[in-house]
Amino acid sequence: MPPRMNGRLITGALLAGAFATLALLSLVWTPAPLTQLDIAARLQAPSASHWLGTDHLGRDVLSLLMRGAATSLGVASLAVALGALIGVPLGLWAAARAGWLDELLMRGNDIVFAFPPLLLAVLLTTALGPGAVSAILAVGVFNIPVFARVARGLALPLWQREFVLAARVAGKGQGRISREHVLPNVAGGLVVQLSLQLSLALLAETGLSYIGLGTQPPQPSWGRMLADAQTLTALAPTLALFPGLAVALAVLAFHLLADGLREWLDPHREAR
Amino acid sequence: MKRWLALLLLACWLPGQAATLRIALQLEPPLLDPTVGAAAPIGEVVYGNVFEGLVRLAEDGSAQPRLAERWDLAPDGLSLRFTLRAGVRFHDGTPFDATVARFALDRARAEGSSNPQRSLLAAISSIEAPDAHTLVLRLKRRDGGLLQSLGSAAFVMVAPGSVGTNPTAPNGTGPWRFVDWQRGNRIELARFDGYWGEKARLDRLRYRFIADPSAAYAAVMAGDVDLFANFPAPEHLAQIRADRRFTLKVGLSEGETLLSINHRRAPLDQLAVRRAIAAAIDRQALIDGAMFGYGQPIGSHFSPRHAAYVDLTGQSPHDPARARALLAEARWPADRVLSLKLPPTAYARRGGEILAAQLAAVGIRTRIENLEWAQWLDQVFVRHDFDLTVIVHAEPLDYGIYGRDDYYFGYRSSRVKALLRQLDDQTDDTERRTTLQALQRQLSDDAVNGFLFQYPRLLVTRAGLSGVQVNAVGSLELAGALLPGAQAGAAGDDSAAPRALAWAAAGLLGLGLVLLIRRADPRWLLARAGSLVLTLVAASVLVFALVQVAPGDPARHVLGIQADEAAVAALRTQLGLDDPAPARYARWVAALLQGDLGQSLTYRLPVRELLAERLPVTLPLAALALLTAIALAVPAALWAARRPDGVVDRAVSAASQLGVSVPDFWLGVMGAWLFAVVLRWVPAGGFPGWETGLAVGLQSLALPALALALPQAAILTRVLRGALAELAHAEFLRTARAKGASRWRTLWRHALPNVATPVLTLLGLQTAYLLAGSVIVENVFFLPGVGRLLFQGVTAHDIVLVQSLVLVLVALGVAISATVELAARAADPRLQRRGGDACPPA
Repeated sequence: MPPRMNGRLITGALLAGAFATLALLSLVWTPAPLTQLDIAARLQAPSASHWLGTDHLGRDVLSLLMRGAATSLGVASLAVALGALIGVPLGLWAAARAGWLDELLMRGNDIVFAFPPLLLAVLLTTALGPGAVSAILAVGVFNIPVFARVARGLALPLWQREFVLAARVAGKGQGRISREHVLPNVAGGLVVQLSLQLSLALLAETGLSYIGLGTQPPQPSWGRMLADAQTLTALAPTLALFPGLAVALAVLAFHLLADGLREWLDPHREAR
Repeated sequence: MKRWLALLLLACWLPGQAATLRIALQLEPPLLDPTVGAAAPIGEVVYGNVFEGLVRLAEDGSAQPRLAERWDLAPDGLSLRFTLRAGVRFHDGTPFDATVARFALDRARAEGSSNPQRSLLAAISSIEAPDAHTLVLRLKRRDGGLLQSLGSAAFVMVAPGSVGTNPTAPNGTGPWRFVDWQRGNRIELARFDGYWGEKARLDRLRYRFIADPSAAYAAVMAGDVDLFANFPAPEHLAQIRADRRFTLKVGLSEGETLLSINHRRAPLDQLAVRRAIAAAIDRQALIDGAMFGYGQPIGSHFSPRHAAYVDLTGQSPHDPARARALLAEARWPADRVLSLKLPPTAYARRGGEILAAQLAAVGIRTRIENLEWAQWLDQVFVRHDFDLTVIVHAEPLDYGIYGRDDYYFGYRSSRVKALLRQLDDQTDDTERRTTLQALQRQLSDDAVNGFLFQYPRLLVTRAGLSGVQVNAVGSLELAGALLPGAQAGAAGDDSAAPRALAWAAAGLLGLGLVLLIRRADPRWLLARAGSLVLTLVAASVLVFALVQVAPGDPARHVLGIQADEAAVAALRTQLGLDDPAPARYARWVAALLQGDLGQSLTYRLPVRELLAERLPVTLPLAALALLTAIALAVPAALWAARRPDGVVDRAVSAASQLGVSVPDFWLGVMGAWLFAVVLRWVPAGGFPGWETGLAVGLQSLALPALALALPQAAILTRVLRGALAELAHAEFLRTARAKGASRWRTLWRHALPNVATPVLTLLGLQTAYLLAGSVIVENVFFLPGVGRLLFQGVTAHDIVLVQSLVLVLVALGVAISATVELAARAADPRLQRRGGDACPPA
């Protein structure tokens, strides 16, 4: 029987669910059409018709934030998925084979790790040009060594455990043992890491689109809304407030989710 | 070291207090010699101030005497004789005469010259200097525009002895001589006392560069700027206008803002389609939305300031119905999506979105692509890979571009070419005016481009500033400038305290490192050093490969959009960009091994020097942020750990959870708004330099350091608190408590040393992050640090600068993590025995 859900898990899941719902909803409906510019109605304060006001081109901020959620969550999840899909098998493989392959893979990881994430992103977008694809690749590449390390770290001790030894005695190959016996036992830890990396990827995506290397207009994104709003802080301070709050809340949601999951899956260990 | 000495000498030599005018421009010039680079910011600083031409282009575009007192055009129009001014000297003492003038012009028009405007001198067949004060230009054909051309910034007079140093230390004949340039920060000019004309009335000019609208607004409001030459924030002009401390002068620049159309792409080559685009544009809505009402609608490519201007906006009024009809007539394919590529300027980005909406309203779909300058130059200007773009054509009287078949928008018209030839032959003003008006009408009739608005010149000055002269090149000539109660410049050098601090910190770090290395196991050290070298080799290959595949031509970027192909090719050869990649990699690594980081392509300076200028900002910023983070996190975590699950623990946990979720650049943006714009406690951005004193320097680093520190403090708190929690039930802590140690003492003396490894590892990661990750925060606050230099390198496509900087940052990061491991092993002897790897916490 799974232990009781904790408060962090519930709050995190609810918040993350709310963002995901708003993001999905924005693909079919937003309070105001996104392409509609109304210069005369620009920089309005929050009101009944525009709950969060309008931006410098007269667009509805709430609608932009909703679609921005779709952009940011989409880029972040694809990037994390990319990192996990390549990193986890690599890590499991390294743990299974040990020896020189393990050493090689982990040294390779160190090299990618030596690049601070933002530098890697800047370099990649220089090469590929700015846009959602470059952002996904840049953030994704940085996630590969993270997942490889975590998967390896979780899998390594399992290879000393009886059930794995039994499987080996039964003549199963390393690949099959990794798939059938190791993976299910590291899945919990990986889910925690997924959630944590999602929150970091969200921050990275916003940072990239803030400096103009991420998602391109007219596709709304939180980072670009912040960048646009920055020039207008003296005129309309709330304009920079909402996208920043959205980022902080979304990142917080996945953080809480990760913490809650960790505690839920491993109740003996105190939450950090 | 040399710079400090120079500053010190300067301080002694300066006569007491100097009246300094503080000028802000939007963009920093990449170099200071307009005869080898065409970037507009070069001319904005040096034209008419440091360098002078034979003639000067007055505000209305007419040629006025400068170094030439007068000129005579032969009746056949094939020779132009100048009488040069006597008694003119360059700042270094070289006399200016006809042989120098001949040298300067021959150098500009020579085969293989990288002068960006070289083609404008194509009509000259030879130049003679019959005596010291006479210069004769012999022409192959008549050229009615030659005199104006000679007034452009690319043809200023330079001395033969200083052409090599002009890009970094310009030596001209103007009223101001060059003093100092701290790249990314400021340029200083001082009055030239040997000037031939009326000498400057102020002592010094200090240029700063602020492209960001809100930083510009904050700098003006804080009184940090006496004169903003081209204020980038039309959205804030209402507030500035209302403030009696400032004067706002709104004029028109020489820049026509265009929605450029690529005629090489069908169906944009059809007249009906282009007319439909013109009819779809609502110029006033565009000016209101993108420029907050500043700017004048235009109907053709010609400045309303010029005498020959005709208002043709009525020829292409906003008429969506007509646009739709024209599109139907041209059988516009509804599924066609036009690319709209935008350069990184506020007018283009904002205007682009508005234009996209206006075009969509008549049924033309567009896809916006925001580009950095390097990419824009490469894709739009060189490779013509675009459908539409928004760009200001800033050069005065640049209608000649409509006669160039190879120009980026690809317009070809025999009628326009005939009109341009006619202009070359005409020297009579009335005749020329008639032809110019016919030309304007032709361009409007052909709807060559979407003619949007004449870009405004927004000059913000402190009230009382007088004597500023505007010219057609776009620079402000400041010889006559006078500001009552001008700020006494910071002539003194207060850098002693910051320098002492820097030395002390470096000494401590060095001492610590030596102690650590002496304690470490030599075999482990050797193995670690080996893997460090391997990592760096692999990283260098990776960096080089990534930088090399990046699109764009660095030479084109250095020379600017007006430069012709021959000049760009010449520069490519000169910079060694034509060699194959393996050869360039080998050259790069060989130089690196000798400690040479290479020469920046845009700044034409060794990367090492640029780095040395920037580290004094980035290192203190990172150190300050790290110390702040530690000062916040350690007490918080200890306090929380005193009573697990108590009120404090929960509060600290919640606060740190929030802290890790907030992006540091958002903290920066909101902090800048609150503390700099509303409260005005600290400057909103920029860095005055350590020589202005420790307090001033720290003040401008305070806000960015805090923005960087808060999220890092949150991470550190969580890790420290978590590590302490795991120890909570450890035997030795209970023993310590049982022996009567207080809770604080137990935590401090017994628990803290036991969590040293994860905390040190994290601190190492954070230091590396703060050094490299400051790219964003340095951009928010316009700090001239390494991160901003890197960002500038990326946007300017300075591949040498980018690859060397990235490698240096990677090396720093690797070295820091090795040092941390060393420290962790020293702090925790158990690691030595196990020989275990310190692993960063997830």
